[in-house]
Amino acid sequence: MTTYIFRRILLLVPTLFGITLLTFMLIRLSPGNAALLKGGGGQAGGRAMTAEVREQMIKLYGLDKPPLVAYADWIGRSVRLDLGESIVDHRAVTAKIGERLPLTISLAGSALILSYLIAIPLGIAAALKRGQIVDRTISFVVFVLYSIPTFAAALFLILLVAGGDYLNLLPMYGANSINAPEMGPGAWLWDRILHMILPVVCLTYASLASISRYARVSMLEALGQDYVRTARAKGLSERLVIFRHALRNALIPIITIFALELPALIGGAVIIEEIFSLPGMGQLMFQSIDSKDEPVIMGITVLAAIVTLISYLAADILYVVVDPRISYE
Amino acid sequence: MNSASDSHEIYFESYSQRIWRHFMSDAFARNGLRVIIALFVIAALAPFLANSHAIVRVADGRVTFPIFPCLEPIEWRFLLYVPLAALVYCFRARFARSPGVCFALVIALVALIEVLLAVTHPVNDPTNDRDRPALFKLMPVIPYSPIESTPDAFSSPSRKHLCGTDSTGRDIASRMIHGARTSLSIGFVAQSISLLVGVTLGGLAGYYRGWFDIGVCRFIEIIDCFPTLLLILAVVGLFPSQNNMFYIMAVIGLTSWTGLARLVRGEFLRLGSQAFPQAARALGAGDFRIIIRHLLPNALGPILVSATFGVASAILLESSLSFLGFGMQAPTPSWGDTLSDARRYIDFAWWLAFFPGVAILITLVSYNFVGEGLRDAVDPRLKVK
Repeated sequence: MTTYIFRRILLLVPTLFGITLLTFMLIRLSPGNAALLKGGGGQAGGRAMTAEVREQMIKLYGLDKPPLVAYADWIGRSVRLDLGESIVDHRAVTAKIGERLPLTISLAGSALILSYLIAIPLGIAAALKRGQIVDRTISFVVFVLYSIPTFAAALFLILLVAGGDYLNLLPMYGANSINAPEMGPGAWLWDRILHMILPVVCLTYASLASISRYARVSMLEALGQDYVRTARAKGLSERLVIFRHALRNALIPIITIFALELPALIGGAVIIEEIFSLPGMGQLMFQSIDSKDEPVIMGITVLAAIVTLISYLAADILYVVVDPRISYE
Repeated sequence: MNSASDSHEIYFESYSQRIWRHFMSDAFARNGLRVIIALFVIAALAPFLANSHAIVRVADGRVTFPIFPCLEPIEWRFLLYVPLAALVYCFRARFARSPGVCFALVIALVALIEVLLAVTHPVNDPTNDRDRPALFKLMPVIPYSPIESTPDAFSSPSRKHLCGTDSTGRDIASRMIHGARTSLSIGFVAQSISLLVGVTLGGLAGYYRGWFDIGVCRFIEIIDCFPTLLLILAVVGLFPSQNNMFYIMAVIGLTSWTGLARLVRGEFLRLGSQAFPQAARALGAGDFRIIIRHLLPNALGPILVSATFGVASAILLESSLSFLGFGMQAPTPSWGDTLSDARRYIDFAWWLAFFPGVAILITLVSYNFVGEGLRDAVDPRLKVK
């Protein structure tokens, strides 16, 4: 097992290398650069910048170097944990990411936990009532929910309950009200919760389908096993059979797919953050792509890639830990 | 004796027939397929359903068909190639008998159509036939073109504008009908591209194993580390100059093949270690033949299921891109684009969000039901009933 984990960790290195190289080349090969965009050369509305200043900027950020040399520079700096500073506002990339991370983690995290808390009981109920009206209703509703695009759902929710002509119960956008800095901690938290309700709902409903489906299938599989029949044959109550024998085994695959969802905690949800104007990671990535802010794009990419690869690895290891029958020897 | 064997007639059902029967026995899947077919018909006939030009117009003692000179080449192709394909299908027996002559005929017809399309240019006629007096005229059901601005902006749904109008007075119903083309064709073509890449790479990796397999797996892992939408946003955002329909199709197709490749690789690994490919090899079949004739048909079921869901997700991606402003260029009607407009006027113009939202929802639900039905038909163990 130890050698397996060690080998997998070694394999992470070339993958990380590939990801960063691909991203870097994508940025470098695309037309225009950040200095040009910032100087008003690319987009309307930017401040005009003299050619001299632009030249200085291009030198400063190494935008004139050949892509491979610049990439080597970037690698050299980032292995010393220096991700550089943003071209747009000259702030450290780590600081920019750091101030966005809490919001994204709390948003995606609560959506993740909520969707598991709702979906697993739904899936198990569907499996226990297999083929009956309960099963079909759950499958149908969850499936239709899954087919609603998040942005359409978000627009409708805003239209119906936030700021529109109908109900005005919840705030329309932002992570806090304008007067949030003057609030006490309790009021601030309540304000934040009110602002998070709609985004969390939008992020939660869509993932119900796949999780409840997993739960249903693995519960059905567990119920068909010999040990369940044995448990019934020795006269255990149905409750004990289901909760002690079937459910525990059915949860194994669900635990592992939980690990696979962790990258969303870092990557954020671009669309939801855009619609609700939430300053999270997705929005930061979106803005950086828009302004070709190379150091920020690279910083987010490398962070997201590390978290993704480690969660994949964690899923594989968890699989062995929770189910001793499997081994990677 | 004879009657007994009659009543126990051996009924042979092929794999595809069985899948079809299972599929059609599922009401959701069946109706989903019907809705998709209906959507495709609407998309194909869009210029005849929503257009500012009359289909037939009788005036000044002349009969004219104002709609036809305005059709784009792609619309002509739709109109001409579908009947041509139907014709070939009807005369397939004749085709089998004398393939040479028939092929020559078909190629001559295709060449004729293409030459005519290359020579003629669509007329860009900004006038409309709605208010022009005529002895007799047959207008399309929705007498507005999708890019035509009318004076009444933000009119709510009424008898004049069934689904209302947007900020520049364009008719939403017309934009929905023409937007169906954008969504459906992008979903279809993008998924075909990803099918091609995914099946090829996954199949080769699963068949040859070894270093090629390791390389492909690393590559899949690299692509998978980017959330799909972010990857597409990065490509489209960084190379914005040419965002036309084919560009969007290619970007979506080339970034969403990894799941399929994983699936096909797994299937090929599983099938490759069974006895029948070995038997085929013993009979002298080469790699190519084993892959195409033996392994691929056995993996077709799961591939089809995954491709159907893939079309749904490609449509979703396209509308998400349009919604974020990275999709099709401005005048092209697209559901996501109308939704993106809706965001700005959400406090009063509910119809701007409602109709495209419902259109996307119906399409996605239908595709997902078809995919679900196919999955149950391919693997009946998981069926609800």
